[in-house]
Amino acid sequence: MIIELKKFGTILVSRPSGKEAWLAFQSTLKDVVDTEDVVVDFKEVLVLTPSWADEFLTPLRGRFGRSVTVKNTDNASVKATLEILDKNNQSSIIGMRII
Amino acid sequence: MPNSLISIGKTAKQLGTSIDTLRRWDRANRLPSVRSGPRGHRFYKQTDIDIFIRNDSSLAKQWAMDQTGIPPSNDVYCQTRDVFQARLESLQHILTGKVSESSMSLLSAVAGEIGNNSFDHNLGNWPDVMGIYFSYNLKNRNIVLADRGLGMLTTLKRVRPELRNATEALRVGFTETISGRLPEARGNGLKFVRAVITENPFTLKFQTGDASLFLKMRDKDLSISRVEEYIRGCIAIIGFEDSL
Repeated sequence: MIIELKKFGTILVSRPSGKEAWLAFQSTLKDVVDTEDVVVDFKEVLVLTPSWADEFLTPLRGRFGRSVTVKNTDNASVKATLEILDKNNQSSIIGMRII
Repeated sequence: MPNSLISIGKTAKQLGTSIDTLRRWDRANRLPSVRSGPRGHRFYKQTDIDIFIRNDSSLAKQWAMDQTGIPPSNDVYCQTRDVFQARLESLQHILTGKVSESSMSLLSAVAGEIGNNSFDHNLGNWPDVMGIYFSYNLKNRNIVLADRGLGMLTTLKRVRPELRNATEALRVGFTETISGRLPEARGNGLKFVRAVITENPFTLKFQTGDASLFLKMRDKDLSISRVEEYIRGCIAIIGFEDSL
């Protein structure tokens, strides 16, 4: 499945809005099997911070592991956020593949 | 011509704000106008504008340091996170075209992290005035955020009780992946801020308690000094003087 982050907004900065996005998306994720490929699409995201990403991408990686890939990560804040998450990620999942 | 009078419209353009905001600042005596002409229109002296611009960050500092907590003027006050989010979006719009797309994105992200940190760590515990002071000045090319919250030492002591002073707390906050919000295993925000500032043509002055940090591009180490002026909460001044 493809998750288009722009559908949650283009300025994704706060922890509560990341948490809310994750909770709201559970109804969509419940039908996805854990082995299915999950693509996170950052197209048109203008601003992303680790606080938002920690609440959405980190649990997503926790559930789907290496099946999660990312695309359209050219935005400077998206790149910087993914770098810091990868550097400090305490779970066993190493970095997300860029497609 | 430092003392010639400038119209309210030209002053608004110079300060990157609206005429309505200037009227409010006039009424609040924050930036007093000179009334002139038969209809008493508002005019401004360039020297007053210059003083006002230079004092932008010191206004925030004064507010953060004041013994008595009083909400700041509405144009800089974000009482709740929703207001902050809306003003952050305005900043992002204003920066578009004035700086590169990359700088716009990174500056908004850094301001967003610092501002939201204030809300994250003080929610339900604000000592007096809840919310943050948030202003930006395109002429001076800086963004100012301040809060009258608990400060980093109090917040981080919850998870690191051995911390002795604000200097240690500031260092831990900017170097270790740690969150003052147990049991959440988070705390990437200030490391992100440090990485962005040191990898781009930005600067950051950050003070909490009596500890002040100054960061600039290519800094490898943290330069923290003790200062006389004490701020219980936090103040951050993000500079983007050299960014395109």
